[in-house]
Amino acid sequence: MTTTIEPAEDEASVSSLISVRDLTVSYDVARTGKKLVAIEGVDLDVREGEFVTVLGPSGCGKTTFMNVIAGLVKPTSGQVLVAGEPVTGPGPDRAVVFQDYALLPWRTVFDNVKFGLEMQKALKGSGWRDRVQEAIELVGLSGFEHSYPRELSGGMQQRVGLARAIVAEPRILLMDEPLGAVDALTREVMRAEIEKLIAATGKTVLFITHSIEEAILLGDRIVVFKSHPGAIKEVIETGLARPRSERSIQSDPRFLELRDHLWDALQGEATAAAVSK
Amino acid sequence: MSTFLASGPNLGRGGIGAWLAGLSARGKALVLAAEVVVMLVLWQLVVGVLGWINPVFFPPPSAIWQGFLELWSSGVLATNALVSLQAWLTGFAIAVAIGIPLGLLMGTSLPVDRVVGPIAWTIYATPTIAYQPLAKAWFGFGIGPVIFLVAISAVFPILLNVAAGMRTTNPSIIRAGTVFGASRFQLYRSVYLPSTVPFLFAGLRQAVVLATIGMVVAELTGSAQGMGAVIIRAANTYQTDQAFAAIALVVVWSVGMTQVVTLVERWVAPWTRKARR
Repeated sequence: MTTTIEPAEDEASVSSLISVRDLTVSYDVARTGKKLVAIEGVDLDVREGEFVTVLGPSGCGKTTFMNVIAGLVKPTSGQVLVAGEPVTGPGPDRAVVFQDYALLPWRTVFDNVKFGLEMQKALKGSGWRDRVQEAIELVGLSGFEHSYPRELSGGMQQRVGLARAIVAEPRILLMDEPLGAVDALTREVMRAEIEKLIAATGKTVLFITHSIEEAILLGDRIVVFKSHPGAIKEVIETGLARPRSERSIQSDPRFLELRDHLWDALQGEATAAAVSK
Repeated sequence: MSTFLASGPNLGRGGIGAWLAGLSARGKALVLAAEVVVMLVLWQLVVGVLGWINPVFFPPPSAIWQGFLELWSSGVLATNALVSLQAWLTGFAIAVAIGIPLGLLMGTSLPVDRVVGPIAWTIYATPTIAYQPLAKAWFGFGIGPVIFLVAISAVFPILLNVAAGMRTTNPSIIRAGTVFGASRFQLYRSVYLPSTVPFLFAGLRQAVVLATIGMVVAELTGSAQGMGAVIIRAANTYQTDQAFAAIALVVVWSVGMTQVVTLVERWVAPWTRKARR
């Protein structure tokens, strides 16, 4: 599993799975009648099988960005193409893992994972039970099939969220700060597991985070967002070997270099955001 | 009845609070039984043995038991309890049959909510007894006005809770449903309805208590039969022991039915049970 990811030279290759072209999203603010620009002029190409982390301070529009790709929010201008087709709404080629898990409290682990197939009416035949069971095993939840979400820890609930997302075998996994609500220790364990899982399944991932370490440890590329309005500040290739177990990478000069660089970039952003409030 | 002893916020984590919170279901039942016994013994002591209060106004438990036996052996109890039971069950069934569908409609459609909501709240806020003379004018002197008062007392907690349950469905779960491709109907059936279930049962529990109040109020004034009639007749002839016996029976019914609702809830909605870890 020790594959070295070469930094890609061509920015806008033809083979990109996700193409974002001059994307702008603005909202009408109730009462004031003003327009709030969430993101402005965003361009991005993501190759098939690439792990892209999106890093930025709170309120920089990175979640809005993800919601447009998920098909939950319509672009005000510009467009998003997935496999060459414009996104008009949610689709089975994209699945989302939410920060607050968004599990159905009245369903067991098994039935929550099944939900990912059920809503797409993919329960025909008999194979779906095996697929659900496989997804549960893949995230390490065997034996908890009949537990309710409230009986599980936060980390385990997010595993259910992950299983629900991968069960329908989407090409693209959209993860909105999936480890943001998990305790620090569990976060480290799950970060390594997510890296392993993605390497094994070869999914294309867009991973939203506000943690610099997380962005470096997971991403092939890091997209740094700035706020007011939300836009891409820079895109960085990490160029680090996988798997990136944390101990070995902490002393890697490239890791330190990236961390310092991102730290400076984000600190400027955070200060700007605080002043403009 | 163990809900009375369920652990609250447990502020301060005092010794007895921690002890109560740690009790098993059986332990809790024992504590409750002990509480009842202590109260009955104190009551018997103060009124029956020490004679601090005139037993005509406040009969001791032993006299109430005697009153109960008199009512039972004369056949008064069975006849009137059956009349009350019939009125209660009919009225409650009407309340459920109207409350649930209308509540769902209110929760689904904002225009319906805006029209029905204020009317519902107005009727709900009116004291039940105010409807008693009207009910007699509309439904005569038989069981009709009792059924009416039971139904009108029970329908609003059901209706308003169901509507509130629909409206407060967790938006992040709705978003998850949308992302995984749920149709409008699927969202309704798999997300909105299940998340309304705990609200429905909370409403049913309130409705049980209010229905019983409505029943007794209707029977107290000008009804020839029913538990309320037994109470008023006994009280008017200074047979307070019988009056208390009849009241106790009504209370047992009311508390018993809320327990039945809770049992049904545990069966229908097992996820609302407290997490056992």
